[in-house]
Amino acid sequence: MILPYLLRLLCLCFASFFVLNVVAGLFVRISCKSAIRFAESRTPIAAARFLLGLRMLPFALAVLFVLGLCVPSYLWLEPAANSERVGVLCALLGLLCAVTCSISIMRTALSLLASRRYNRHCRLAGQETHMPGESSPVVLVENEAPLLAMSGLLRPRLLISRGVLRALSAEELDAALRHEHAHRTSRDNAKRLLILLTPDIFPFVRPLRSLESTWSKFAEWAADDLATTGDSSRAVSLAAALVQVARIGARPRLPFLSTSLLACDRDLSARVDRLLQTAPIAFAVSKPARHGLRTAGFLLAGGFAVLLLAPSTLSVVHKLLELLLH
Amino acid sequence: MRPTVIRFLKNRIARGANASQSLALGTLEFELMEILWSRGESSVRDVVPKLSRPLAYTTIMTTLDRLFKKGLLDRHKSDRAFVYLPHLSRQQWERTRAENLVAGFLSGPHPSRDLLLSCLLDAVGEHDATLLDDLEKKIRSRRKELSRQGQP
Repeated sequence: MILPYLLRLLCLCFASFFVLNVVAGLFVRISCKSAIRFAESRTPIAAARFLLGLRMLPFALAVLFVLGLCVPSYLWLEPAANSERVGVLCALLGLLCAVTCSISIMRTALSLLASRRYNRHCRLAGQETHMPGESSPVVLVENEAPLLAMSGLLRPRLLISRGVLRALSAEELDAALRHEHAHRTSRDNAKRLLILLTPDIFPFVRPLRSLESTWSKFAEWAADDLATTGDSSRAVSLAAALVQVARIGARPRLPFLSTSLLACDRDLSARVDRLLQTAPIAFAVSKPARHGLRTAGFLLAGGFAVLLLAPSTLSVVHKLLELLLH
Repeated sequence: MRPTVIRFLKNRIARGANASQSLALGTLEFELMEILWSRGESSVRDVVPKLSRPLAYTTIMTTLDRLFKKGLLDRHKSDRAFVYLPHLSRQQWERTRAENLVAGFLSGPHPSRDLLLSCLLDAVGEHDATLLDDLEKKIRSRRKELSRQGQP
């Protein structure tokens, strides 16, 4: 297949993105179990950050490589005038990348639509009201479902059903609302969107699903910790709220871009046990740890910049691209 | 068409139509299946001494033949006698039987379908209620502990 200069660049970008995403993704998939074990030894907040970072790693590395090395080396070292033949393998890899990315974009668009539709449905079925201690309006849904969720992306709305409002005492409701606020502060819905947007390793296969579900579990635990802030009586109230809401019945099916008090029924027992522990768990990443992470980030970025500025790197990358192209 | 082919086709059609019926086993049939599941490939002569009660050789032969026709056993000839082996493992048989049972209920009239669903929901609900009761007990005892320590 003979392609002009820019189309060739596009094909190369897609193909190299696919290859890098597959290599890094498989590496993450292989180290998944050890990573989850490591995350379990950390605080839930740190664990959630670590797992989200690991989930994003293949995509981030592939994008960084393509934009930072492939594109500059191609634009700098490839003669602009000629049209060249593109190998079948390169075209196939490019096509696979396009399919994988289209699937993730489609998935995201559908989830956004579902979330929007659900919010509109709740607003129509209920009424917007103000609750004490709540700065933004709350959507009160007139039914008995165990609904207490934060839905939406840019302006997340708190959705609460009449049944939940009736079932919880003032302390329990306060603890439950704090839990949802913790989700809003952590921007968990935006993180969910990021997960949806991140392309999978292969089309129609999601080998990193276990990482995503473990992240989801730790995000809930982190919200619990942020809601209780080490206060034992508040932790007991939140545990009681969880049990009360679970007692109401089967939880409604919520869109993916929303966080709920009872995100997963299977995790209920573990969450309650954690909240009832005698010694409350530290709920924030310590300053030295945060400082260390920042330093590691800067070092990584610096190293990459040095690599990028070295002319020999670009010529090596160009040779690799030529190999891939033909 | 040759009679063996006709018999084979008739068997196949009958197997498909009566799939759920063929999985239901009588006492002797079940005992024979248990022996074959534990022993693997066996002839009639191998099975007879393993039975809990003495039965005629021909009775066992007929029952094994019936199980073969139901599609639960496979067989091949060895030294002029048939050697039987289970077509499904015990787990597969139980699974298929349960699937057929549930499918039968769900495809039935509304009352039987609702009855099955409500039974299943009750079973799940009971399990959940026990778990929630346990959790509530833990919360109560933790509350007591906290109030003893002077926290609200």
